[in-house]
Formats: sequence, C-alpha cells, structure tokens
Amino acid sequence: MVLSKALEAHVESFISRLKRRQIVGSYEVAKETAIILRQVVSTTRWSDATVLIQIIKDLGRRLSAAQPKELAVGNIVRRVLKIIKEVVRGELETDDIMGSGTSEESDDGFSDDDEEDNEEDSDREFKSILAQDTEDHTSDAIPARPKLQTESSMFNLLVDQHSDNVDYTAKSYGMKPLIIQEINEEIIADLETVYKGIADQALEHIHANEVIMTIGYSRTVKDFLTKAALKRSFQVIVAETSPTLQGQEMAAALAAVGIETTVITDSAVYAVMSRVNKVVIGAHAVLANGGLVAVTGSQMVAAAAKHHATPVLVCTALYKLSPLFPYDIDLFNVCVTPDQVLSFSEGTLIDKADVQNPYYDFVAPEFVNLFVHNLGSAPPSYVYRLINDNYDSEDTIL
Amino acid sequence: MSTSNQSHETSQHGSIGSASTSAGQPSGSPALGHPQSGARKALKDMTKAERRALQEKKVAEKQDRMAAGLPSSAKKASEQEAHRKVASPKIGSTANTPQSPAPDAEKQAKKQQKRLNEVPWLSHLDPPRKPNTASNTNKDLHPAVLALGLRFAEHKMVGSNARCVAMLLTFAKIIQDHKPPSDASFSRHIQKYLDPHIAYLLSVRPMSLSMRECIRWLKKEISEIVEEDPPLTDESARNRLVERIEYFIKERITVADRLIVENGMQKIQNGDVILTYAKSSVVEALLLEAKRSGYEFRVVVVDSRPMFEGKHLLRRLVSAGIDCTYVLLSSIYVVLKDVTKVILGAHALLNNGAVYSRIGTAMVAMAASDKQVPVMVCCETYKFVNRTQVDSLVLNEMGNPDELVVKKSSDENSSNSLTNWRDVPNLRLLNLHYDVTPSKHITLVVTEVGLIPCTSAPVIWREYK
Repeated sequence: MVLSKALEAHVESFISRLKRRQIVGSYEVAKETAIILRQVVSTTRWSDATVLIQIIKDLGRRLSAAQPKELAVGNIVRRVLKIIKEVVRGELETDDIMGSGTSEESDDGFSDDDEEDNEEDSDREFKSILAQDTEDHTSDAIPARPKLQTESSMFNLLVDQHSDNVDYTAKSYGMKPLIIQEINEEIIADLETVYKGIADQALEHIHANEVIMTIGYSRTVKDFLTKAALKRSFQVIVAETSPTLQGQEMAAALAAVGIETTVITDSAVYAVMSRVNKVVIGAHAVLANGGLVAVTGSQMVAAAAKHHATPVLVCTALYKLSPLFPYDIDLFNVCVTPDQVLSFSEGTLIDKADVQNPYYDFVAPEFVNLFVHNLGSAPPSYVYRLINDNYDSEDTIL
Repeated sequence: MSTSNQSHETSQHGSIGSASTSAGQPSGSPALGHPQSGARKALKDMTKAERRALQEKKVAEKQDRMAAGLPSSAKKASEQEAHRKVASPKIGSTANTPQSPAPDAEKQAKKQQKRLNEVPWLSHLDPPRKPNTASNTNKDLHPAVLALGLRFAEHKMVGSNARCVAMLLTFAKIIQDHKPPSDASFSRHIQKYLDPHIAYLLSVRPMSLSMRECIRWLKKEISEIVEEDPPLTDESARNRLVERIEYFIKERITVADRLIVENGMQKIQNGDVILTYAKSSVVEALLLEAKRSGYEFRVVVVDSRPMFEGKHLLRRLVSAGIDCTYVLLSSIYVVLKDVTKVILGAHALLNNGAVYSRIGTAMVAMAASDKQVPVMVCCETYKFVNRTQVDSLVLNEMGNPDELVVKKSSDENSSNSLTNWRDVPNLRLLNLHYDVTPSKHITLVVTEVGLIPCTSAPVIWREYK
C-alpha cells in the first residue's frame, strides 16, 4: 500500500500529534480521521473493493496504534469500512439486476429457519418489490444511489449476511465517487450536526425548576443545557473535576449563558446529591456493553446518583460508540502527569510515594439510565443494536 | 390675587420641597417657581387659569426631574437632595435605584449582592466569618482565647481532637488565672465568666459537634461544684475544675486513642492494603503503631481539594517508612480494586449511627461498600452526640468560597475562568466542610470500649451521659 507523499505527510503529522496528546477529544480526532480516509479513497489507486478495504484497514491499524485510548479513530475507520461494503453490495445488486434479474437477498431468503415462515414470505415479497424498484431505476441510464442498510431487519439478524455471495473483487467504476459521497454525507456532515441533534432533545428531558448535576467539561452537555435554558429555568450544580478543574470552566460557560450555576468540590457530590433531580454527563467513548469511558470522577457521580435513585443521562454522539468490549477496564484508562496531583515542588515526598493521576473513569452500564445521542435516545441495553447498525462485526479487530 | 404671598401653607400641599410656586404670578408661565418649602396659595383661591398654569408647571418640572434622573415624585426628589447633601459620596453606585431614598438603596444593593453570591438552599447556614479582633468587647477576654480563636479562623488548627484539646486546655488556663470579684464566690462566678469566651469562639468558627459536647460536660462539672454542700473554697474549686479537665482530656481523648489503636490492631493483617481519606489523628496513630509492630501493609491516601489534608498524613507515613500511594478523590474507583480495607476517622457519631465527618468521607464509604470492602471508623466515645441528621445539608459548615479558585500566577489556564466569579450574577461557589455518611455504608466502629456496630451509638451515649 503506497500513499501519495502529501497524504503520507499528513498521516505522519496526525500520528505524531496523537502520540503526544496534542490532539485530544473525540470530535477533533474523528473529524481528522474521516478527512484522511476520504483522501485515501480518492487519491490511492485501487482496482477493486478488497484492495481498498485492505488499504483502509492497514491505515486504520496504524492510526489506532498511535493512541489506543482514542477510540474515535477506530470507530471512524470501521464506519468507513462498513460504508465501502455497503456500497459494493449495493453496486453488485444493481449490476445483478441489470444482468440476471435476481438479487442476492432473495438467494439468502431460501436459507433461513423454518420457524420464520411468515417473515420469510413477507420479506421475500418486500425484497422483490425492492428489486423491482431498483430495476425500474436502473432502466433509466444512471443507477440510483443504493440505500444503505442502516436498519437491519429482524430477518437479517438470523441470516448470515456476510455470505460469500458478495464478491468484493468485482470491478466497478461507479464505486469511487459513491464511496466518497457517502463518507462526506454519512460521516463528515454528520459530525457537524451532532451537537444540534443532541441539543434538540433537551426539552424532552428537563422540566422546570430542576436541579441538574454535571461533571467535567463536555461541549455536548453544554449545548444540551444551553438549548434547554432558552425555554426552561433550572439550576445546575457542577463538580469541579480535580485536578484538571474542567468543571470550573464549564460552570463559567453556563453562567455566562444565564443559567444559575453552583460550583462544588468533588468531595461534596454525595452530600449535595440529595438535592439533585438529574445527572447529565458526557462521555469520551461508549463501549459495546453500554459502559462508558468518561472523565475521572464520573463513576463517583453515577454511583452516588444510583444510591439516591437519581436518573443518569449520558449525552454522547454515535461516532463515540465503539464495538470493543471492556474485558479489562484498565485498558481504556490513561494516566497523565502526577504533577497535577502532587506537584513537583513537594520534592522529597514525590519519590517516596506512588502518585497516580488517571485521566478517565469507567462507568459500568448499570449506573446509566439513558444515552441521548444525535439520532434519538437509547438505554444501555440497546447499545449492541446501534453497534450492529453502524459497524461490521468482522471489523472489530482491525 | 391679594392673597398671593409666600406664607400661605395649606395642608394639602404640605411641605413640598423644590416645587412650590410663588403663587403670586398671574401670568402662569411654567418656568417660574423657586424652591421654597410650603408657601402656596390655596388652590381654591386661584382662578382657573392659575390652576392651569400651576398644573403645567408641575408637569414641566416633573419632566425635568425625570430627564435628570431624579425620582419622579417631587417629595422623594427633595428628600433625595437633602440626603445627598448630608451623606458621603458613596451613593454614586446606587443612583440608579430611583424608587427609594439613597442610603436604603445602598444597603439594598449590598444585600442583593450578598444574596447573589449565596447558595439559596444553604441560606440557613452561617456564611464564613472573619474574627473581629478590633472589637472593644474583646478587651475583657483572656488573651489565650483570642489566640485560639485566630488559630481556628485561619485553619491553622484543624481536626476535632486537636481543637477540643486546645479549647479545654485554654479553658483550664482561664480557670486557673481567674480571680472572681470580691462579692461572688468562684464557683458561682466562673460560669458567667466563661460564657463570653465561649461566645467569642463561636463567633470565630462554628463549634464542632464534639466541642459542644465538651462544653456541655464542662458546664455540668461547674454546676456540680456549685451544688457542693458545704460549699468549696475558691482554691479548692479551682483546683478541682482544672483537675477534672485534665482528667477528661487524659481519659476520654489521650488514653482513649491508645485503646482505639490497640483494638484496631486486631483488624490489621500482613499484606493488607489500607485506604484512608484526608487526615485523622487516630488513624495516623493506628497506622504508625501497626508499622512499629512489624506488620507489612500498604496505604493508599485519598485526598481532595481545597484543603489537601491528606498530604500531611502522607508526609508522616512516608517518613515512618510505610509504602504509600497518593490519589485524588475522583480516581477512587481506580485504586479501590486493590484495597482490602478502609479506615476512616470521624468528627462525630450521630444518634442514628451515621458518621459526621470531613466532606468526601461519604463518597469513600459508599464506593468501598459498593465493592464489598469493609469500612472501619475510628471514633472516641466523647464524640458520640445526641443529634440525628439524615442528610448533609441540614447542619454543616460553609468555608470560604474563594478557596475553590486556584490562584496560578504563572500562566493563563482554565483555573482563571473563575477569578472574577463574584461579578458573574449566576455563579456561586460552595465550599462545604462536613458530610454525613449513612450507617449502611459502615461496617464497624472502633472505640475505646471495643468494636461496635455503628447503630449502637445511642447506647454508648447513654452510658456516658
């Protein structure tokens, strides 16, 4: 796999910034990864889909290895892979229809379980209608853009969709612009509207005169609360999130918008929780079992909320969803400089004591009540479906 | 017209200040009228034209006043002018409150400012106070109490045991030095003499619950001395009181601590990883004694802003050679994985078995009990109080909110986002000192009388009543 010089330089610069943590935060990382991958698709030479998939996978492996804790990199790579596979499948479908008239899906239709008879019939009907549709479209000279299968029907779950009927080595010249178009719309444009999509749901979750608690500085949560404050009056209590003190910045931003804000120390969270109606936090990443990787202190807040039976809402965009499973939660944590905890000016103390400063916290799924994401909301038990829709299970290991 | 003179004062037009007319003007030009108090022609004596003129003049004057920013009513405008001449130029900031006279407006603005910076659901708690060292009443107090008060106010002396012992020793000194007036006996006068000292300490920093218990005990001792029959001499009463105080300190605090350490050692084994929060003198003694006895264990010290008391504990433990880890409270779940037991100190033990302790303790106990790690609280019996609280907000102590703002003089970073927090109307900072840990999170309380479950607290309290 050979990338063009300019592109290689861009990739190298991105990798070194990731390694040095000069680019931190899932939004920035995701955007840059998507742009790089789009350039890869457009500038590299590939003749068929398998070559392209290999190129993307190799590059994705390089990028994730640069900073394994930034899960957003891997997420975007997997989404691009899924898009490629979908486009190829769609192309082959239209090709087949133009050729022999039967689509791949109806072949699959004959190999399902006996129990699903009714569904099979209705699905086969549905698919033949679909085939007719595309047939009609393809009879006009330009093939229509195939719809992405973002909603897997119950039927598809039971059938192995990755049957080797799909031939990725088929050559088709229409794929390149289609893939680039899909990346532009599904990923890059989507990233732009993520904050709005979440903030628009704010009024459904916040009632008047509420007391909301939050921790850390999350742009998503800030936009969420700001949008709600336009129509409702409520108060916010922000935990300062030592040692980075992101919470203080968040409080200043919220107060500037006109929300009544109180800043408390982390130690006061349990004491003050009896006063709180809801907890709203942001996430760094969401893992396959519905657990979160969030800023340090979030587990504390969520556990205190559980003890007081206070609901916990997590505002997160779908690109933060990762198909990785937390077998070992330490894998997702990163320890940053201990200077913030015990400063180097304490000289004699430093080398005698072991000082730890983990940056993230893992919040187990039983502490979260609801994920509010840009396409709606979902309880933690539904996260696996969202993962199925957005990623291919083969791509979990890059 | 013949009645036009300035000495007419009609009751309806009382003492209007600047807007009185010299009613002898027949032409009715509105701009005339010099400020005189109360000289007006009776309305009914004026002709219609004159009345018209008067009305128009008043309207014009009103408009002038409004343009000048004075209150639109003439009465208030005159009052304001009068006050302005009298009061000092501090009124400038409150000139925009036209509805009330100037000094009241200033007071109101100050009150509004204070209310803006106060957390409304904690308005029942006293805001943090500064010691009033310049006050005249302090001249009558013993200097030792003044010194003690300053130490409390500036947090140079923290920790319930330390404060209690210091307070009792100071009172012992006062009692020793006190010479009653000739007409009263020592025993009857000492109570009255001590009261202003207690009040001063209260004004400096709210009393800890255990300090209140000590004072209650002291008052009981004094009343016992008074009831002695035959009445004691001054000298013997004094000696007895000082002796009793020293005995109290020795028995209920010093020796109690030693017994607690002995009892607590039963629960420490080789290979333990012990977690502790902030700094408790008893827990420190326990850990140092365990190290001296040769046990091999590690300690995790959890600390929090803004007081960083755990750092002092860390220093002492490290110099004794104990293997220590130091983290902040927000990362407690990360370190809890390896911890075998949690040992905490207490400020007071409430009647329902809850522990009233440094803020953050509830969080540590909750996290530990979630992970099935046993939580031990070390508490002397003099800290058992006859109060109950179900949440942490009903009785608490608010510290100085400015301590939350980090003053980093070197570079611009996010901590500076709060440097001018008082100017932001919607922003409040809260610095609480204590919280209540419910008894369900606590496994065991170590006292000098043994190891008890925390729900037995009222039983112990009754024994010592």
